Amino acid sequence: MSPRSKKTNEPIPAIFVENLNVKYGDNVVVDDISFSVGQGTVAAIVGPNGSGKTTLMKAILGLAPFRGEALVLGQHFHEVRGRVGYVPQRFTFDRDFPITVEEFLHLALGTKCLPSRILTVIKEVGLTPLVLHKRLGTLSGGQLQRILIAQAILNDPAILFLDEPSTGIDVAGETAIHDVIEHLNKEHHTTILMVSHDIAMISCLVDQVLCLNKKLLCSGPPKKALTQKSLGELFGPHHSLYEHHQHHHEA
Amino acid sequence: MPLLELLNYPFLQRAIIAGLILGLLLACLGVYVTLRRMAFFGDGIAHASLAGIAIALLAGLTPLPVALVWSLVVAVIIFLLERKVKLPTDSIIGILFTASMALGVVLMRFTPGYQPDLVSYLFGSILSIQNTDLWITAGITAAILIWLFTSFRGLTFMSLTEESAAVAGVKVKLHTLVLYVSLALATVLGVKMLGIVLVSALLILPPATSRLIAKNFRQYFILSVVVAEVTILAGLLASFQFDLPSGASIVLAGTVLFCLAAVFRRR
Repeated sequence: MSPRSKKTNEPIPAIFVENLNVKYGDNVVVDDISFSVGQGTVAAIVGPNGSGKTTLMKAILGLAPFRGEALVLGQHFHEVRGRVGYVPQRFTFDRDFPITVEEFLHLALGTKCLPSRILTVIKEVGLTPLVLHKRLGTLSGGQLQRILIAQAILNDPAILFLDEPSTGIDVAGETAIHDVIEHLNKEHHTTILMVSHDIAMISCLVDQVLCLNKKLLCSGPPKKALTQKSLGELFGPHHSLYEHHQHHHEA
Repeated sequence: MPLLELLNYPFLQRAIIAGLILGLLLACLGVYVTLRRMAFFGDGIAHASLAGIAIALLAGLTPLPVALVWSLVVAVIIFLLERKVKLPTDSIIGILFTASMALGVVLMRFTPGYQPDLVSYLFGSILSIQNTDLWITAGITAAILIWLFTSFRGLTFMSLTEESAAVAGVKVKLHTLVLYVSLALATVLGVKMLGIVLVSALLILPPATSRLIAKNFRQYFILSVVVAEVTILAGLLASFQFDLPSGASIVLAGTVLFCLAAVFRRR
């Protein structure tokens, strides 16, 4: 059962942000953002490069200083740390470094989790146990991203934060990751907040879109939020939507 | 004199014991030095310790404890500056170690007479290790290894992906500070044996060698220690047998092992 407010018995938002500002010196990176994401929702933050998407996510996770309010499951992030999973935008490591997938996942395994949980999450992300004996550096981009998601869900989080999960991955890998996101949300009711450039994926997969270009320009279901006007404000006047027979694509 | 007879001498026994303890410590820390690409850190701390040694000699104190405290202070300053100023870490280390070394050179100007201790710290003097040095080395090594093994999972996780580790609850800042302090202490302990100029080799060579052979992280860690101990023993025995400088002999032994691993490793 979703956590509820003791006062109102209403479900507590998974993520609640109010008047959030991030500023580095004179540079305003995130300007007075307010929004909420309900439990069990798949939400995406979209916007051009430098719009503050990653900074906003990091602020919510306590990785960047900010002013304002950012609550996760009704509490500050450090109080609900064990219920959150995170896959960062970049995972740069030396690909020749000798560490296997199994050893990597063991590092992230919490004290309350059994080692058998590793087999479970591997299957959840659509991989076979054979991958456990491979070295991390020998994985393809898509496989590595799924292992990072596996690492993030080891402790069965209520909320999963994904920063550009399909960047630099081929079409087959992207599809696999989308399937994982859908599976986690539908089977485990996991709330997912992701940063993404993939408008086509967002249109099909997410329940809520947040359009960000330092300020929040739009918010809502994809069909309502991703209008020609909002895309023009986000990416410039020469961008528009056209409806493919199966997908929406950014033109 | 036959080697086995040489080993009956207490000063050689102390040298070997100190070498094996240091080999274990520097190999374990060296795994994280290479993983985090901090090779310059060890070199920087070693050179920075010259100021600590000079202060001790000027004040008529025992060099090792003062050098340990000085290097600890430098390590903490590096940690703090990393978070305060927008400079790459290697620049911060470069500034601090050259300034510290320059301070050491200036202070030596005021120390009267020839300073054999200074020369021994530049190039190492394992044969001058006393029981006190051995106990200090063993004590500090034990403390660092206890921290390392109790923090192993968090430290390794954050060395691979700092943000994910921070979100998962790993105390990244604390572990980073303790790592820097541990490296500083271990490097200064190694300075006595290998010298300021060469000590960082023992942080880098064993992990670099074992990385060429290891198939997974567990093997990597264990092999780093094995390679470090073989390097120390081979180098020390060669220096005793052929009357060669001990620090340089150890580093050359390590280099030979690295070259052999590079040539014969399975692809």
